[in-house]
Amino acid sequence: MKEKITIVLKKELREVFRDKKSLAMMLAVPLLIPFLIIGISALFDSEINISSDDFNKIGFTYEFTPVEENIAKYYNVDYKIASLKEIKKLYKSEKIDLYITKDNDTYQINYDENNEKSAQTVYLAEKFLEAYKTYKQEEYLQENNIDSNKALNIINITYNTINDKKKNFYVNYTTSYAFLFVIMAITVSATYPATDTTAGEKERGTLETLLTFPIKSKDIILGKFLSVSLSSIITGLLGFTLSLVALFYSNKWFSIYKDINILPSVQTIIITIAIIILYSFLISGLCIAIASKAKSFKEAQSALTPLTFICFFPGMIASMVDLKTTSLIALIPFLNHTQIFNDVNSGNINILHITLMFISTIIFVSLVLAYIIKAYKSEKVLFSD
Amino acid sequence: MIKVNNLKKEFERTKKSRKKEKFYAVNNISLSAKEGQIIGILGPNGAGKTTLLRIIGGIMEPTSGEVLYDNMNFTNNEIEIKKEIAYLSGNTKIYQSITPYELMDMCLSFYEFPKEERKKIILKISKILEINNFLYNRISKLSTGQVQRVNLARCLVHNPKYYILDEATSGLDIISSQIILKFIKEERDKGKTILYSTHYMEEAENICDYVYLISEGKIIMNGTPKEIKEKTKTTNLRDSFFKIIGGNV
Repeated sequence: MKEKITIVLKKELREVFRDKKSLAMMLAVPLLIPFLIIGISALFDSEINISSDDFNKIGFTYEFTPVEENIAKYYNVDYKIASLKEIKKLYKSEKIDLYITKDNDTYQINYDENNEKSAQTVYLAEKFLEAYKTYKQEEYLQENNIDSNKALNIINITYNTINDKKKNFYVNYTTSYAFLFVIMAITVSATYPATDTTAGEKERGTLETLLTFPIKSKDIILGKFLSVSLSSIITGLLGFTLSLVALFYSNKWFSIYKDINILPSVQTIIITIAIIILYSFLISGLCIAIASKAKSFKEAQSALTPLTFICFFPGMIASMVDLKTTSLIALIPFLNHTQIFNDVNSGNINILHITLMFISTIIFVSLVLAYIIKAYKSEKVLFSD
Repeated sequence: MIKVNNLKKEFERTKKSRKKEKFYAVNNISLSAKEGQIIGILGPNGAGKTTLLRIIGGIMEPTSGEVLYDNMNFTNNEIEIKKEIAYLSGNTKIYQSITPYELMDMCLSFYEFPKEERKKIILKISKILEINNFLYNRISKLSTGQVQRVNLARCLVHNPKYYILDEATSGLDIISSQIILKFIKEERDKGKTILYSTHYMEEAENICDYVYLISEGKIIMNGTPKEIKEKTKTTNLRDSFFKIIGGNV
């Protein structure tokens, strides 16, 4: 029995690897993953490391004291002092990003929240005014013979990072999306060979030929299932390897990952590989089950299109709403794979959840296979005429 | 010996009014085929020939009735029976991305031939069916006639006892048809049992030892070509057929 399955498997793999379209489907999405990781990292990096020179042009409608002048120099404020009318003109002509007006002791920051430059410059304006306020407070306290240091620092605030996993928001975001793309790559990769080996083979008339051989339909199904799964696993592992390479270089290139080990641990890599294999089995089985009902290649492709989205969205939505993994979630296919990956990637290894995901996937794969084996006894599935 | 007893196959079809109705594509057919015989299964399109041969070939299950190969049935001996069958039809196509050599090698693997023996068999069959010139070319590059010869080659690599040939020469050029017909006769002479369905009445008359005429899933007449002609008082099988069913073949 095993030999017959191997013959079908070899035959199917030969067809996949000799077909340019199948190969393209296997490689297209994984090859995009490094660009995605580097792209997301570069975007974050550019947002974080915005040059202060870009958002420092502030107009003032009052004359500076020498202290204000020093503070402006200290914070690198590129200031313009003029009348309100002149300042408004400068703002309109985008020579300044915002302007500050003064009415006795009330200072007003005038800015446009819908203008990115103006909104960003508010932080600098606040820092400038806070520094001047502190100076004035110290001056007042000293005039009244009060220890300004004690009064102003009546409580001390210190910061200590408690993120012992040395990960940050950017790392989690980038790796989650990279994994979602690996999932997408596996799904796309399973779709084409699953369509070709079922509806395609039926349409071409080669399925009828296969049925004439001394082999049980169960063995044909298992051979086909293993070949589609193997193609998907290859795609998944390729996508994952390329992700690791892209993460390695992103770690070196971008300052958002400074002092952080962005690369996953060996434990995370092993569990991720196991998730990739499990997911490949599940999606391959589902693709074969759906495609085998179609009479033609085209019909099968149309039927499989929704599955590509269905398998991608649970993970995406889970990432967006910051879903916490429960035992129930660990049992739900598609959702459990991305959730467990996200947990493991953030250092939360829950053996119960991982075990439940394994059991759930194995049960679903077995049910899908039992369904396909039963379906392959029906004339509607076997013959296109 | 192949023995077919009271075979029935029910299908569902949609009528013009979109209502579904059940019908028998094969309706209570019984026949037998002995060693060293070419049995012709003749009938117009939609008569049920392909369904009948699919059931006899074990790739479709009957609604009722049974097919026996030397008193063995598919329910209990599917693999043993299939090892002795060569099934070739207009619907059985072959893989385009592989070479005839790879195809035959794969087939022989299914029939559990050892690797050393497989090469010898492939070279022998290639010579018989004149496919050695394109043995290592991809099947997608071959002509229709060459493909059908490769298809026949993949059927007989395992030296089967029974041949089920459904429209085996349909759409082929004269040379390819002649190679196939010559081969069928030689196999008959070796004592093999051959079930042969065709549209070509002259061809059937020429090679069949016994003929079953089928219409609407039922056998309407059977006998040797000579007996049928005598019964219908005609000079050839084509006229006999017209006389019995009164339609186009």
